[in-house]
Amino acid sequence: MDIIKIKNLTFSYDKQTIIRDINLTVEKGQAIFLLGSNGCGKTTLLDCILGLNKLDNGSVLIKGNNIKDLKPLEIAKNIAYVPQSYNLTFPYKVIDVVLMGRTPYISPFSSPSKEDVYIAEESLQIVGMSKYKDRIFTNLSGGEGQLVMLARALAQKTDVIVMDEPTSHLDFKHELMILETITNLVKDRNITIIMATHYPNQVFYFENNNINTTVLMLDKGKIEVMGNAMEVLIEENIKKVFDVNSKILSYRDLNNKSLNYIVPLNTYMDDKERVV
Amino acid sequence: MKLNNIKFKYILMIVMPLIFMFSSLFIGRYPISFSAIMKVLYMKISGVDFNIPDVFVSVIWDIRVPRAILGALVGGSLAISGAALQGLFHNPLVDSGILGVSSGAGFGAALAIVLFNNVFLIYIFSFGFSILAVFMSYMIGRIYKTAPNVMLVLGGVVVSSVFSALISFLKYVADPYNQLPTIVFWLMGSLAAADYGDVLIAAIPILIGTTGLIAIRWRINVLSMGDKEARSLGINTTVNKGIIIVCTTLATAGAVSVCGIIGWVGLVIPHIGRMIVGNDNKILIPVSLSLGACFLILIDNISRIITGSELPLSILTALIGGPFYIYLLKKTKGGSW
Repeated sequence: MDIIKIKNLTFSYDKQTIIRDINLTVEKGQAIFLLGSNGCGKTTLLDCILGLNKLDNGSVLIKGNNIKDLKPLEIAKNIAYVPQSYNLTFPYKVIDVVLMGRTPYISPFSSPSKEDVYIAEESLQIVGMSKYKDRIFTNLSGGEGQLVMLARALAQKTDVIVMDEPTSHLDFKHELMILETITNLVKDRNITIIMATHYPNQVFYFENNNINTTVLMLDKGKIEVMGNAMEVLIEENIKKVFDVNSKILSYRDLNNKSLNYIVPLNTYMDDKERVV
Repeated sequence: MKLNNIKFKYILMIVMPLIFMFSSLFIGRYPISFSAIMKVLYMKISGVDFNIPDVFVSVIWDIRVPRAILGALVGGSLAISGAALQGLFHNPLVDSGILGVSSGAGFGAALAIVLFNNVFLIYIFSFGFSILAVFMSYMIGRIYKTAPNVMLVLGGVVVSSVFSALISFLKYVADPYNQLPTIVFWLMGSLAAADYGDVLIAAIPILIGTTGLIAIRWRINVLSMGDKEARSLGINTTVNKGIIIVCTTLATAGAVSVCGIIGWVGLVIPHIGRMIVGNDNKILIPVSLSLGACFLILIDNISRIITGSELPLSILTALIGGPFYIYLLKKTKGGSW
């Protein structure tokens, strides 16, 4: 079933077109990746999917309903959001942050119920952060904080989780931990992921873990290429979109399964520049 | 936190202001014995006549009781508004007057003093102009749509300084022997003239405002994550922000228009609350209400014993609150900041 259907989406800001004519169909359990250099419109496209932007043209349908007719509450029951970074002013406890994921299910003039607390604790358990429940969120490391944000998205009980570069400032291990957690969510819970990222290898990570991935390579707000990782992440496309020369390496693991990685080589686009 | 502990805290929150209000009946320059005060209270509640001198009855029932009630209402509403606005703007430096309520009220009062010098009109003008000031700040904030929080705060700062300039102008043209001192005293806040009329006038907007804030208190947590996240969590930020701004404005305007501008409470009481119970607005909002009420009654009690002519409240809120805040900071190491 199509969870999200984007038709001819165009969005501009101050008369400058940021996103041009995007068409995309997202099915349940799929992992969609947005790749592209800074300023190519990844975050803006995600904002359109979250219903935060007023479109110039085209539409975003969530389970057949046009997003512009949905209340924030109805969108939030279908799509959760994990931000790139957060600068929380107030030192809330971890559990209080996760409980915010229950907002669409809590009426405006009441507070979380016991059941909400239970769901929040369960979500923390899924991401392996149970013992951080009463810690202060602002004291956590970037990776721990991002896992809590994932738990908050889970507490929202949505089919889709939208992530904007969720690993952009994490260390080596925590980046992998986040990817592992997201992989498990897709596999075990059939959650749909829409994720903007700067690292093409993250797409291969999902592909290597047998997840149905679709890659959108964006350039100046347009889809340059779209398809599954094997088709799209080729040296020619990387060069075209990122201006980076690269090499795709593959090797076979113990089960004789082919795993791919991309290695960036240089940014020299012709021989003259190389002299410098 | 155990359940009993939470219940105990809630009971304490309700009982503490009552204890402060009750104890304030015994404080004042007119000496009245403990038994006489108890008799007055009993007489007023049960209707039994104890043959107490009229002046006792009047000092207790017509002066000290309304003053205690008004102190609780004003202190509580300033503190709860401060806490709610700090959460809304996710900025701990915000106080209850950030959107221009206080300077609007100050201008309204000064204008009424200069033009009419009528107590009721002072109330009407200060209330009206404080609402107008917030409305202007809000409209300035709406001009630029993408960063409404920063723009709202900036709008508040601009409107506040405009009204401050207008207050200075009114001070400059006011009659220096009569009107000027009245304006100056009004701007420093006092509960000295409190009567049941003031209580009634202040209570209506204050009760509407605080009830709204208490009802919506948990959502302030979500709003404090910023507009984008709050919306992705399912909150209509425009509507919810509007409710909070209307409630805080009603509560603050109701307070300042009857007793003048009282600084400090709306900024620091929420922080004292944060040190004691943490940052979850579900509990912080009612705690701020309770602490604000206790604090202002305490300050008012001190102001009427310390000198014969009562010290304006804004002087004491900072002089007493400041060291107390530092003491708490040392004791709790600032909570979790």
